[in-house]
Amino acid sequence: MIVVRAPLRISFVGGGTDIADFYRKHPGRVISTAIDKFVYVAINRTPLIPKISARYSISETVDRPDDLQHTRIKAALLDMGIGKGIEIGSFASLPAKTGLGSSSSFSVALIKGLNAFAGKKMDKKEVAEAASRLEIELLGEPIGKQDQYAAAMGGFNVIQFNPDESVDVEPVLLDYKKRLGLENNLLLFYTGLTRAASSVLTEQKANIGSKFETLKEMAGSVDEFRDRLLVGDFKRLGGMLHEGWLKKKSLASNVSNSTIDDLYNAGMDAGAWGGKVLGAGGGGCVMFIVADDKKPAVREAVKKVAKEKNLNEFQEIPVKFVQSSAEIVFNGDEFKNKISI
Amino acid sequence: MKDFITEFSKKSITAIENLPHDEIAKALNILQGVYERDGRVYVFGNGGSWAIAGHWVTDFNKTVFSHHLAEHNKRFRVSRMPATAEELTAWANDVGYDMVFAGPLDNVLEDGDVVIAISSSGNSANIIKAVEVAKKHKVPVIGLSGFDGGKLNQLADIKILVATPKGEYEIVESTHDTVMHMMTKYFKNYFDHLVEAKK
Repeated sequence: MIVVRAPLRISFVGGGTDIADFYRKHPGRVISTAIDKFVYVAINRTPLIPKISARYSISETVDRPDDLQHTRIKAALLDMGIGKGIEIGSFASLPAKTGLGSSSSFSVALIKGLNAFAGKKMDKKEVAEAASRLEIELLGEPIGKQDQYAAAMGGFNVIQFNPDESVDVEPVLLDYKKRLGLENNLLLFYTGLTRAASSVLTEQKANIGSKFETLKEMAGSVDEFRDRLLVGDFKRLGGMLHEGWLKKKSLASNVSNSTIDDLYNAGMDAGAWGGKVLGAGGGGCVMFIVADDKKPAVREAVKKVAKEKNLNEFQEIPVKFVQSSAEIVFNGDEFKNKISI
Repeated sequence: MKDFITEFSKKSITAIENLPHDEIAKALNILQGVYERDGRVYVFGNGGSWAIAGHWVTDFNKTVFSHHLAEHNKRFRVSRMPATAEELTAWANDVGYDMVFAGPLDNVLEDGDVVIAISSSGNSANIIKAVEVAKKHKVPVIGLSGFDGGKLNQLADIKILVATPKGEYEIVESTHDTVMHMMTKYFKNYFDHLVEAKK
């Protein structure tokens, strides 16, 4: 058995500029951090059971990878030439489609785990590249690359997507006081509304031509966000999130909806410095940066709207930022390799 | 006599002033990560650097938590490599002195671990062999070197070079000690803060 975990992430500014239609013309830039919520993938070698099993929200047992319904597991197994004798299960700290990048965290953990299964060790960038390739090239999903890099690299980073497909990851060298300070001024709520990133991103992708200048501004704001973060100017960070969210809303008609707008406006009216909806939009999480003394008021205001709208799964999600990246937490596989020197 | 003391002190001050701040900050991030995931840190070096490695073990495993030992039931897991003189002499005698770190390290390295390699010249054959083993395991290497950095500074993921003229072992080793103590102090403050913020 091999167990791999990969963190979820919070993306602050620059989201949307990690899509090829944009970064092939102008470098995309995002700033994000890994958080203490994880997706786990467990992989078990079953030489005596010549089948393929995938256990997630449903359980599948098939004779050949081609017969799997789970598109990512199927594509990864076919790509790696793993034909039978394997069980793969996934587990997570939060539901899917929260806007915290969990679907790419899954791919990252899967890729790292399957390579360990095949006796291959990978460094962080190799994992990020392989997970991006799986989702974008092999499966043709209309998504960007920021989530794969955030999960594979861990920590707080500025990530730049270059026109030649190379990616630069620059860690934000935050001391613990600033890190804990931002954590303390951040409120995150899961709306209970779910959306698949692809539905929003498909429209967003089609609009890239007309919104090119907006996306350029979003990529360009990453450096200021980092610099303000390094000096602990949380108020301005909130303001920048708010400006970024308004820009993001203009990218596609379904980025927001009236429920999301009501939740967001309630938090802002109660005194938040700023905020945004996490993920591609249309649901997921609402996040605010708030002064310490305004936190109770913002919390109450947002909860009240959630209750009025009957959002049964609405809840606050406490988060800490982590340096953890995708990592093998257990490897008891019988063919666990020893590297000879 | 006084001239000698003044000159040595000046060299030490210059070495500390020229420390690579970004690389040290990156090393702190990496060590934060290994702490979060309960990974292991392996430290090694020859001679005086071996002494720094031993000091690192005690400061990270105990000193950084000292003010609130009872509250920190999760701690760093740092080891000097190899753990015993018996293992060191066995590898040296039976296989070769260049394998005294690489051999034991290859036995234990896991995904999520970190290696700290210390070499003033950056060219000790046994240090470089060990760094190559860490690279094959895809484990990040924090390299503390001196002089022109040598091969260690080229290979390390985190390059903490104390740049000095060749042969200034005393300046390099005491500055490596400063780096180790700087990291100790950072984590000590951090772990103190975590406990005190709760009160």
